[in-house]
Amino acid sequence: MPTLTIDGREITVEPGTRIIEAADRLGIDIPRFCYHPGLPVAGNCRMCLVDTNRSPKPVASCWDPCQDGHVVVTNSPRVLEARRAVLEYILLNHPVDCPICDQAGECDLQDLYFAHDHQPSRHPFHKHHKDKARVLGPQIIYDAERCINCTRCIRVCEEVAKAPQLVQVQRGERAYIDVFPGTQLDHPYSMCTADVCPVGALTTRDFRFKCRAWLTHGIQTVCGECSRGCGIRADVYRNAVQRLVPRHNPDVNQYWACDAGRLAYHRFETGRVSAVRIGGAAADYAKGVRDVAEALPGADARGVVVVLTPWMTCEDVGAVVAAVRSAAPGATFAVGGAAPGIQDDILVRADKNPNRNGVAKVLADLGVTPVALDAVLSQAPSLGALIVCGAEQAKAEALAGALAAVPLSIVLAALEGPLTAAARFVFPTTSPYEADGTWVNESGVTQRVRRAVEPVGDAKGFEVWASDLADRLGTPLAARDRAIGGNP
Amino acid sequence: MVKVKVVERPPADLVVQSWLPELWKGMKVSGRHFFVNLLTQKGIVTSQYPEVKRAYPPRFRGKHRLMRREDGSVRCVACFMCSTACPADCISIVAGQRDDENEKFPVTFEVDFIKCVFCGMCEEACPCDAIRLDSGVHRAPAYTRKEELNGKEDLLSLGSLSVARQGGEFK
Ligand code: SF4
Ligand code: SF4
Ligand code: SF4
Ligand code: SF4
Ligand code: FES
Repeated sequence: MPTLTIDGREITVEPGTRIIEAADRLGIDIPRFCYHPGLPVAGNCRMCLVDTNRSPKPVASCWDPCQDGHVVVTNSPRVLEARRAVLEYILLNHPVDCPICDQAGECDLQDLYFAHDHQPSRHPFHKHHKDKARVLGPQIIYDAERCINCTRCIRVCEEVAKAPQLVQVQRGERAYIDVFPGTQLDHPYSMCTADVCPVGALTTRDFRFKCRAWLTHGIQTVCGECSRGCGIRADVYRNAVQRLVPRHNPDVNQYWACDAGRLAYHRFETGRVSAVRIGGAAADYAKGVRDVAEALPGADARGVVVVLTPWMTCEDVGAVVAAVRSAAPGATFAVGGAAPGIQDDILVRADKNPNRNGVAKVLADLGVTPVALDAVLSQAPSLGALIVCGAEQAKAEALAGALAAVPLSIVLAALEGPLTAAARFVFPTTSPYEADGTWVNESGVTQRVRRAVEPVGDAKGFEVWASDLADRLGTPLAARDRAIGGNP
Repeated sequence: MVKVKVVERPPADLVVQSWLPELWKGMKVSGRHFFVNLLTQKGIVTSQYPEVKRAYPPRFRGKHRLMRREDGSVRCVACFMCSTACPADCISIVAGQRDDENEKFPVTFEVDFIKCVFCGMCEEACPCDAIRLDSGVHRAPAYTRKEELNGKEDLLSLGSLSVARQGGEFK
């Protein structure tokens, strides 16, 4: 276990640890472009130079492993001069078109220039021009002028996505990144290349020109597109999600997220249920809740079935179960959900529901044994009431048929579809970006989902609807009922 | 201690209560102006707007205008600097791609004059001399909020050529 000193502070690290990692652990900031904690080390940008007592010249701290007795200085005049020189070199042919560059505001080159270089260009000739908007794939557009050839994007494709689709061509100031002839950058993690790009060379088609980075505020939430539950940050401007970017979670997704998950928010931009409907006509939310509260107890004799969805948060499930049970003590519960899909060895899971584990845990805590969905469908015509939660139902068509057959049919959904067309009562619910609560992913990690944007129209979380229903029934939900849901 | 001086109200006698002396004094002033203006027209400070307009100071900030390049296209590169600087958050831009070296342009550019406080921050922030408030045109009142939204075409119709270059001699 080597023990070394960085800027006068001692640290003991595992053998093989790079100096930059040890400095990061101490909270000492060493500027870098090509080093990324989730990628293999390349050591090509030379931005991370530091002085050590083992070398006559500054060394790349992302490359050099820590040695016992190392004395590292990250801010000597020689290091500062080296940084300035490296930056000046990188900026020689850089277009510096920050006003039209999507990276501006979150650009490492911009920040480091102001911190370490901060001088006008001394380059007296015309800059070398390259391609400005080269389409590399369905999601990614490349600006060769802004590229600093750090090769992070290449390493993401090779090491994270296991799809070596990018390559560096040419040398020196002519070097740029490209795909092989006749191919494109189209693996399922291609947007991660834009995340790791320290400058504005790689932009996603989704966010390109849409908004400026500094105008958005980021909400830390969780992706719902599969049961992995990757940590994401929803960047919001004027109450609209502008983009989703992965956020570091070592237990779940490291630094990455798949393209499908990051584009999923577009699903909720159109086709939303925004108002309560009773028998096809728009109605007041309070009237809808009142009518349901009046009709539900009478339906218990023939049987009340609630089809839950693993898109609900744990809190939603706890509240819905408690509220429905207080109206119809004999109610039974089934768990539906979206159909399974593709799976890979990286992040994407086959189960396209984010909270199957959480729903199961809450139901077990509440002593509910869910019935099979097929059993519900077969006995539907004899039921008194059928409540379907969520539009993400693999058996939506069959459920719509069942809804049409029961006397009291209720759907709570965010998106229009066969279910909302078939039900008598339709309540709008929140999208995953408007919801607040807890999801438990496939490996049992409990994560907080946070509201990023305000709900559309009358949309409310399942929990709010259930709590309003319980109030109407005269049996308000005890704080304990919610706490059970909240702490599976 | 604060000293309190009690002021006695003058007694409201019949002369005061009748209002007549004060009324007479007021009518005398109004009447003097009326007849002097009627006969000599000297010293009238009112101008016959809108037929007669006073000259505005050179730094008057009126309605925004979007400037044009030599080829007639809009100078704005949709960088959002103006909308970032705007304290009233009244500029909305949708950016698009153009195929020359300028790369970005505003597909829509909207200033909401009902929110704008004509502070000129947008003009200061613009790196391209694309937005200016020197049109000399007042914001006109309108009957609906929608009429107060001025789009790219409106702003360009007030615009003219600008050949300002950024960053000195090198283009
Ligand atoms: S990559 Fe960074 S420095 Fe270069 S133009 Fe974009 S924001 Fe500016
Ligand atoms: S495109 Fe970005 S990540 Fe890739 S080499 Fe260039 S600067 Fe680095
Ligand atoms: S003048 Fe001021 S308030 Fe009006 S658009 Fe410009 S920055 Fe905004
Ligand atoms: S008017 Fe100027 S500041 Fe505003 S977006 Fe256009 S170029 Fe940028
Ligand atoms: S970060 Fe060390 S060489 Fe690039």
